[in-house]
Amino acid sequence: MSPEVLAYPFLFIAIFFEAFVLVTLLSKPARAARARVPGATEPSIAVIVPCYNEEATVVGTCESLLALKYPSDKLEIVLVNDGSTDGTAAAIARFADHPQVHIITKANGGKHTALNAGIATTSAEFIGCLDADSFVESDALKEIIPCFDDPMVAAVTGAMSVHKPGNMLQHMQNAEYIFGITYRHSIASINGLYVTPGPFSFYRRSTIKELGGFRYGHQTEDMEMALRIQQAGYGIENAPRARVYTKAPHSLWMLIKQRTRWTTGFMRNVLGEYRGLIGARKHGVLGVLMLPSALVAVGSGILLFFLMLYELGHSLTQTILIRTGVPLSYVFTPHGTIDWFYLPIDFMVLLGVATLATSLAFIALGKRISKTPGAIALGLVSYTFLYGLIAPLWLLRATADVTFGKRRNWRSS
Amino acid sequence: MTLVARNALIALAITLALAGTVAYAISYLNNARVAELSTVEDQLSIDILSLDTQFSLLEAAPCDSSASSTTLTGELANMGDRLSYAEGQLGSDNAQVIRLKEQYSLLEIRDYLITKQLSAACGGPKPATVLYFYSNAGDCSDCDKAGYALSYLRDTYPSLRVYSFDYNLDLGALKTFITITKVRKSLPAFVINGKQYYGFTSLTDLEKQFPKGALSTSTNATLR
Repeated sequence: MSPEVLAYPFLFIAIFFEAFVLVTLLSKPARAARARVPGATEPSIAVIVPCYNEEATVVGTCESLLALKYPSDKLEIVLVNDGSTDGTAAAIARFADHPQVHIITKANGGKHTALNAGIATTSAEFIGCLDADSFVESDALKEIIPCFDDPMVAAVTGAMSVHKPGNMLQHMQNAEYIFGITYRHSIASINGLYVTPGPFSFYRRSTIKELGGFRYGHQTEDMEMALRIQQAGYGIENAPRARVYTKAPHSLWMLIKQRTRWTTGFMRNVLGEYRGLIGARKHGVLGVLMLPSALVAVGSGILLFFLMLYELGHSLTQTILIRTGVPLSYVFTPHGTIDWFYLPIDFMVLLGVATLATSLAFIALGKRISKTPGAIALGLVSYTFLYGLIAPLWLLRATADVTFGKRRNWRSS
Repeated sequence: MTLVARNALIALAITLALAGTVAYAISYLNNARVAELSTVEDQLSIDILSLDTQFSLLEAAPCDSSASSTTLTGELANMGDRLSYAEGQLGSDNAQVIRLKEQYSLLEIRDYLITKQLSAACGGPKPATVLYFYSNAGDCSDCDKAGYALSYLRDTYPSLRVYSFDYNLDLGALKTFITITKVRKSLPAFVINGKQYYGFTSLTDLEKQFPKGALSTSTNATLR
C-alpha cells in the first residue's frame, strides 16, 4: 500500500468541511446576516484595551477607537496598562484628559486580569475588547451592535485582517485571516464559533458577569471565554463587515511562537475543562462538527507534513541513487518534451488542488463579503506556497508541548 | 431535519461527487494515455512492417534501399518512455499495459532483427547494440539505475541501439529470444553486441563492456 493512501481520509474530511462551510454560507441564516444593516439603537459601550509594552501601537489603536462613528456619550474607552516596562505609560498619558478615555495602571498580571480590571470600572451594557496592536474601521461598531438583537447572543466577533502586511509571511497571514472572515461568518450563522479573538470582540456585560469574567485560559482567554459562553448555551455571532486590522508577526519564529500559544491553548482548553463539549449533540454543530474537526485538523496537519517529508525524502534518495555516476551535465539537463501524456496528475494531487482552490475561493469571498481594502494577490501566492509548509511546525511544537506538559511564557517562549 | 444536518448531507454529496469526478478524470486521462500508446504502436507496427517488406522486396540488392530503421529506433525509444510512464501510472499488472508491452517487445525484436540483417547484408561498421533485460516485480534493485544509465548512453551516443525487455513478460517470442540470446535470470542483464553481461555497478563499468570505438557521438556508424 502506498503511504499516500493515508492522506486520502484527511483530504476527504477537508473537502467535506469546506463544502459544509460553503453550503452554510449560502443558507438562509448566513444570507440574513449579510443583509443585516446597522441599527438605530445605540446602547452604552466600553472598549477595553489591555496594554503590555505596546508603546509603538497603542496610540494608533486608541485614536482608531475615538474615530468610531458612535455617540461619544455612549462610547467609553478603557486603556489598561498591565505593568508595561516600556514607554506605554507615557504614550497613553496623552489621552489622560480625554473625556471618553479612562486609564488604569496596574501591576502585570496577564491579559485576563487587565480585561477584568477594565470591566470592573465600567457599567456599559456591552463590553468590547481590542488588542493594543489593532486598529478599527470607523463604522465597525455600528456593524457589531445589531448582532446583539437576539438576547441569547452573548458575544460578537469582527472581521480581522493584517494591518499593512509587509513581507510574504505577513501577506500569508493576511490571506489566512481573510479566509477566517468567510469561515467565521458562515459558522457563526449556525453558532459554531469557539473563539472570540482579541481584536474587536464584544460581549454582553450581563453574560460576562453571570459567567464570572475572564480567566487565564491557558494563555488564550478569548478562546476560554468563547467556550464558556457556548457551554452555558449562549450564542456567538459575527459581523463580517466590522473590519479590524491587526499587526501580524513579521518573522517565522515570532509566528511559530504565537501560533504555538494559540494551538496549545485550544488543545488544553478543549481536551481539558471543555472536553464535555466534544461530540455533545446538545451543543449542536460546535460539539458534533467544529471541535472534532479542529482536533482532526491538528492531527492531519502533522500527518500530511510527515507524509510529504517521507515522499520528498524517498523521491530525492531514489533520484540521487539512480543518477549516481552519470555526468551532472546530463542529470541537470531537462529531457523529453512538454506533453500532456506526462502530466503528473493523480488522485491525491487533484484532491489537493481542489482543496487549495476552495481555500483560495474562500479568501476571495472573505475579502468581498467584508469589503476589506487592499490587494490580495501576494497573499494568495504566499498562502499557496508557504502555509502548508509552515503551519505543521507550530502544530508539531504545540502537540509536543501538550503531550509533555511543557508550559511556555507568552512573551519569551 | 435541522439546517446543520441538511447542510452536512449536501456537503457529503458534494464531497462524494467531487471525489467521483476526480476518480473519473484520472481514469479518463489514463484511458487517453492507453489510446495514445495504441495509436503510436499501430503506426510503428506499420512502419516496421513496411521496412521489413521493402527489405524483402529488394532482397537481391538490399543496400540500394532507401530503407532505414534509424528513425524507427528513435520512435521506439520514445514509445518505451511513454510505456514506462503509463506503467507507473496504471500499474504493471494492468491488462492494457501488459498487452501494449507485449506488442512493444515484438516491435523491438523485429527492429533488432532487421537491423542485424541489414548490417550483415551491407557490411560497414557494426552498430553497437544493447539488449537490456529488466524486471519490475521487485526482484531487481539495480534496474532503475541501469535503465537511467542506458538512457544516458542512448542520448549521448546516437549510434547506440538500446532494446529493453521485461524479462517476466509472458510472451512466446520473447521467451524464444531470451533462449537464443542465452540470458539467465540474473537481472539486470545486458547483451552487448552478442555478449552477455550481468548486474549493474556503475556507468563506467557498463561502458567498459562495449567494444573499443563502439560508443561514438557521430552517427556515421548508423546503418544506411
